[in-house]
Amino acid sequence: MTNAIQYTKRRFEALKGAIAGDDEDEPLAVIGREESVSVHLQLWLLVGMVVFPILVAVVVSTKQQGIVTSLPDLIPGTYAVENYREAIVDYGFGRFMWNSLLMSVVVVVGKLVISVFAAMAIVYYRVPYKDLVFLFVLFTLLLPVPVRFIPLFQLINDLGWGNSLLAITVPYLASATTVFILRQHFLSIPNSIVETAKLDGVGPVKFTLQVLIPMSRGVLVGVSIIMFVYAWNQYLWPLVIIDSEANQVAQVGLQLLQGDVQGGQLSWSLVMAGSVLTLLPPLALMILFRKPLLETFAIQQK
Amino acid sequence: MSTREIFDGRLEAALLLAPTLLVSVVFLYYPTALAFRTSLFDAGFGRAEEFVGLENYLTLLESSAYHRSVAISVLFAALVVVGTITVSLYLTFLIHEVDDGQGWYLISVIWPYALPPAVAALVFLFILHPTLGVLTGPIEAVGFDVDWFNDGPQAFLVVLLVAIWKQIGYNVIFMIAAMKDVPDALTETAELDGVGRLRRLVSVYVPIMTPTLFFLVIINTIYAFFGTFAFVDLLTSGGPANATNVLIFDLYREGFSFFNFGVASTKSVVLFLVVAVLMVIQFRLTEEYSYYGA
Amino acid sequence: MTTITLRNLRKEFDDVVAVNGVDLTVRDGEFLVVVGPSGCGKSTTLRLLAGLETATDGEIRMDDRDVTGTEPKERNVAMVFQNYALYPHMTGRRNITFGMNATDSFTDEEIDRRVAEAAETLDITDLLDRKPQAMSGGERQRVALGRAIVRDPDAFLMDEPLSNLDAKLRIQMRAELTRLHAELGTTTVYVTHDQTEAMTLGEWVVVMDDGEIQQVDPPQALYDFPENRFVAEFIGDPAMNMIDVAVEGGVAVHDAFRIPLPTGETGDGKAIENGTPAESFADPDAGNRRNAVLGVRPEDLHPARDRPDLGETTFDATVDVTEPLGDSLLVHCSVGDATFKMGAEPRSSLEPGETVSVTYDPERLHLFEPETGEAFYHSATAPVTSDRLERVAND
Repeated sequence: MTNAIQYTKRRFEALKGAIAGDDEDEPLAVIGREESVSVHLQLWLLVGMVVFPILVAVVVSTKQQGIVTSLPDLIPGTYAVENYREAIVDYGFGRFMWNSLLMSVVVVVGKLVISVFAAMAIVYYRVPYKDLVFLFVLFTLLLPVPVRFIPLFQLINDLGWGNSLLAITVPYLASATTVFILRQHFLSIPNSIVETAKLDGVGPVKFTLQVLIPMSRGVLVGVSIIMFVYAWNQYLWPLVIIDSEANQVAQVGLQLLQGDVQGGQLSWSLVMAGSVLTLLPPLALMILFRKPLLETFAIQQK
Repeated sequence: MSTREIFDGRLEAALLLAPTLLVSVVFLYYPTALAFRTSLFDAGFGRAEEFVGLENYLTLLESSAYHRSVAISVLFAALVVVGTITVSLYLTFLIHEVDDGQGWYLISVIWPYALPPAVAALVFLFILHPTLGVLTGPIEAVGFDVDWFNDGPQAFLVVLLVAIWKQIGYNVIFMIAAMKDVPDALTETAELDGVGRLRRLVSVYVPIMTPTLFFLVIINTIYAFFGTFAFVDLLTSGGPANATNVLIFDLYREGFSFFNFGVASTKSVVLFLVVAVLMVIQFRLTEEYSYYGA
Repeated sequence: MTTITLRNLRKEFDDVVAVNGVDLTVRDGEFLVVVGPSGCGKSTTLRLLAGLETATDGEIRMDDRDVTGTEPKERNVAMVFQNYALYPHMTGRRNITFGMNATDSFTDEEIDRRVAEAAETLDITDLLDRKPQAMSGGERQRVALGRAIVRDPDAFLMDEPLSNLDAKLRIQMRAELTRLHAELGTTTVYVTHDQTEAMTLGEWVVVMDDGEIQQVDPPQALYDFPENRFVAEFIGDPAMNMIDVAVEGGVAVHDAFRIPLPTGETGDGKAIENGTPAESFADPDAGNRRNAVLGVRPEDLHPARDRPDLGETTFDATVDVTEPLGDSLLVHCSVGDATFKMGAEPRSSLEPGETVSVTYDPERLHLFEPETGEAFYHSATAPVTSDRLERVAND
């Protein structure tokens, strides 16, 4: 167990180094100038390939028609404001985005709270069978949405939750991944700190609020980003369970736009504006909080 | 020897665990059990349920369309895994080796982790559109006819490309950590021995990164089976002529186009078995190879 | 002001016995050090005392209170850990006061006054507004000590508190702990694996091995009168030489040497439990032969030419290796099938392969039972103090 924690810590360090760009570290390989140039060139090429599709989307979202049939057409247009306004207001994308945001925030907050509770009980309480309980939670990894969305569809409709915010949030609240990451992190907090709290007679509420949560800030931010990206990017389940445009999320909203553009009623530039809008929230969060995010990933992979 | 279990209250612990357990049971275990049950029935909208035993399973066993779907899914998963791991590994290696700007290269490669699948699909639909696509012209200029709305293998390839593109970021995140973990002494020894760059990657880094690579193989396989619904739905709708009708899309259609909940549930059970087997393999491999990391 | 009494204390983890029937009294105001190799049960004993572990069997009393099954906070003890256990997100002051707030038994003014006092005592006033990551190891340990003393506990429990410090700082903090104890006079139990630390800090030292107490004595008595081989070899560096011999008529006989044993007295008789001394081996006429292990510390062996004052009896040994230690020269020798280490004057010219005539301090010889390892003979007479008699009688 200690080894595992050491291992995790080393991963942390490694990731931190990578993120900070660690210019102070001498590069291990004493590489020649030529080789260095070649590495940079290859990276530029590959990074270009990874980024290119999104750059196209951004460019097209600024053009009037969005007809881009050759590379020279990739000059930004001047219709950005108009296009985004139209997508948000006239095509309901503001509404979709708001629904997605609502869903994601409820899922993140709800999951975070109940997962902290669960991990807290599993790590800090002396209760029988808690290993079994942990296994029971972990086993849900085997039950992703695609395995159960048909009976879940019936269940949610039986509950009368169809087409509601409840339908696209509550079933997501139990999270094996989050409980697992939090448990790993709690286990890495030095024992002696926990024991000091016990010696001082610090109770569970004070311990959680004043010791555990302040010492877990990075991980809590990290899992929140992971959960947000996961919730925001959900497609299949909202597609199935939400059947009114007013309650639809951005992912499925894109599908609606796509139907329109295939039918010839809509210009591609609006679809791309919608795509860029949909990409922005998770991308911004990821870039903003990349450090805690990567540290949290390091915990996830045991 | 030392203990973190500093609290005793059993009732408190039970209350803390209750929400997670409740949601797990009601929305995860119960529907799964329901899927197992419904798989033994003939069921659908507006039809009386009728117990049919294993008939749905037999139907699947004999259905050549379903067999084709299985074959397509397995091939698709294999190609996603190989493609993603290869590209990501090489990218990670370049970032690991580069002398400056590491942080910038890293972020500009891992961002697709946050990319919504629907966005990925739409952007590709646009840039590779057979008549409008910005890349269609250049590709056709070298004598290749872009026609994936009608050509099955081409459609398969497009979905594959999107799937790999979207998954690179996630893979690099884990690989860069694993590669940084390779002891410096090994890199230095390899260099002193005059081992070339690529051989260092293949013979030194890859073996040490084995646990991470296994982890990613499994994660990517699960992704290829379950995380690619949006691509298929938005790009090809399973077509043309079922060339991209992977299991997850097939299941969706069975349930929500044909409303055969019985057969759809049977297909769910098959998918559950796929995840279960993959998880068991991952667990075994992690145990077996964990000493590499320790 | 507290006396702690442990009676037949046992702790089992699954099927491992960590503490196997410990009886011990820690007297009011005493600085008691528990020393032993890792896994000997010393930390578990301390944690049982703190209430962090529950005893499998036995009794823990603080003064007249049976605290065996009570919660830690009811025992009013403070613990100092090896890794300081400071909350990383709190300032020094917050770290010190956090536990006091938990009990609600102090007013705010009282807390402020106590923190100021503790900070003064430990010279950490300027650390109070810093967070742990802005402190050095020594500073962190001072703050951890501050947290312990500010509550005015009945006992301090310290688990290897100096082990994470570098050598120089450790020596400095050692002196500081002694000063602090003199000032506060609080009963202290201090656990360490480092015998030097045990010797320098402890008023009394408990040596543990294998879950059991091997010996309880003041540091010098441990060094001079080890009750068994384990204590003899654990205390002192370099370790005591152990050579298999036969004892015949008051002489330790080895193939390569004969060492007459001065007629020993057993003093209070307690330190030598198995011995039937005078009759069986120290008497030249007894004649019966028994196997034994002769223990002599390297510092009690000398080249004969360095110490002509030690008497006529010498034997010849071969020099194997020499290690200059600066203040002395450690000489590895062999004699017959036995090897031993010997302290020589620094700058002595002894070459490997050379034959050297060896003498010894006749006052510093020990004999141990080959099977049990119990000491049955010390050539010096153990001092009898009322203190020691009392403790031995208690235990």
